[in-house]
Amino acid sequence: MQENLKMQQQTRINIYALISRLLMNEVDEELLELILKDKNMLSFFPTFKDWGKRKSMSNKDLIERYLNVDFTNLLLLHVIPYESFYMRDDQMMETGGDNPVQQIYNDYDFRVELDKARVMAGDHIGVELEFMYKLCTAENEALEDGAFDVAAQIAAIQHDFLKEHLVEWAPLFLLNVKNEAGTAFYFDLADVALEFILSDFEYLDRLKNDAYNYQNIEEIA
Amino acid sequence: MDIKDLNELRGDFEELQRRNASLECADGSCVSDEQAREDYPDYLRAIYAEIMPPAKSGVYFSRWDLKTMAAQLDESFALDVRERMFQKFMQWVATPEDMQGVMNEFKKLMDMKCDIYRDYAVKYPSTKESFDKKIQKAEAAKKYLDKVYTEFFTE
Repeated sequence: MQENLKMQQQTRINIYALISRLLMNEVDEELLELILKDKNMLSFFPTFKDWGKRKSMSNKDLIERYLNVDFTNLLLLHVIPYESFYMRDDQMMETGGDNPVQQIYNDYDFRVELDKARVMAGDHIGVELEFMYKLCTAENEALEDGAFDVAAQIAAIQHDFLKEHLVEWAPLFLLNVKNEAGTAFYFDLADVALEFILSDFEYLDRLKNDAYNYQNIEEIA
Repeated sequence: MDIKDLNELRGDFEELQRRNASLECADGSCVSDEQAREDYPDYLRAIYAEIMPPAKSGVYFSRWDLKTMAAQLDESFALDVRERMFQKFMQWVATPEDMQGVMNEFKKLMDMKCDIYRDYAVKYPSTKESFDKKIQKAEAAKKYLDKVYTEFFTE
């Protein structure tokens, strides 16, 4: 696999993993430490990096006094992180098996453990991003094996999932998270998640228009 | 605490709320849901059904959005279920000018969101189709508000 393609794929995998994890559960000390130590990861959080409160207290205090409170306010109480709410005319959440996203997961054998993830339905933003993470990982494995046709098929699934689902509703949700965030951390997270989802769709759309020709990745990416 | 515990806790809390509500209503001083519905005109129910769902208006009005819009008009109410907050906002309306003020707040927020959609559509051209649909819905929702105002608040 070309070096730039390898790097592109790994970056996509890492970002999907990070934003999925952070939008699904509260950040813990270990992950926060990792973000603060990793220059690349920290670059996604420019406001948080310079946030006075971050510099003035321990990570434990920061999490307990600010970040967990903000997570609860944003993702559990005030902003709705489920696709069905945004897509249905009656603005109800579909928590049963009729959820269209759940049916897609079933088609691709993606199992969601709702109780472990602490979500009410598979169309939670964190779960949808994790689905994208799994697809990117599978695409990467196919590319490493030189199975470009298989990789192209998986990229096509990603494209359609973004187009019909995440690109349709995540901007509405994330714009409100960004607007209502009480901490620099969740403000930056909403911003990076939104920009990344849209830019990844841009990338996949170009790849699709180029008939999934991975040889031209330099021009596409 | 797992989901089962949370559900049990939620059940206990709802039961407690029901019990408190029935105690408070023992002297007949509180307004029942049915009475409240009678005081709530159909056109407000229609506005809720046409404007509040993101799938219809292209815009998500969160609880904080409702609170912020009300604050612009010097009105304040507690954070609650979105529908109840919307009802409280509408029940505050006493004059055509109040209604105009409420509608202007909704339109301002829709315009603000549409400007952001336009910026993203330029930055990421592949998303233009999706954002354009949302902008069209918001424009239709604004027209709907004007129509309601003309029908119900002008002679």
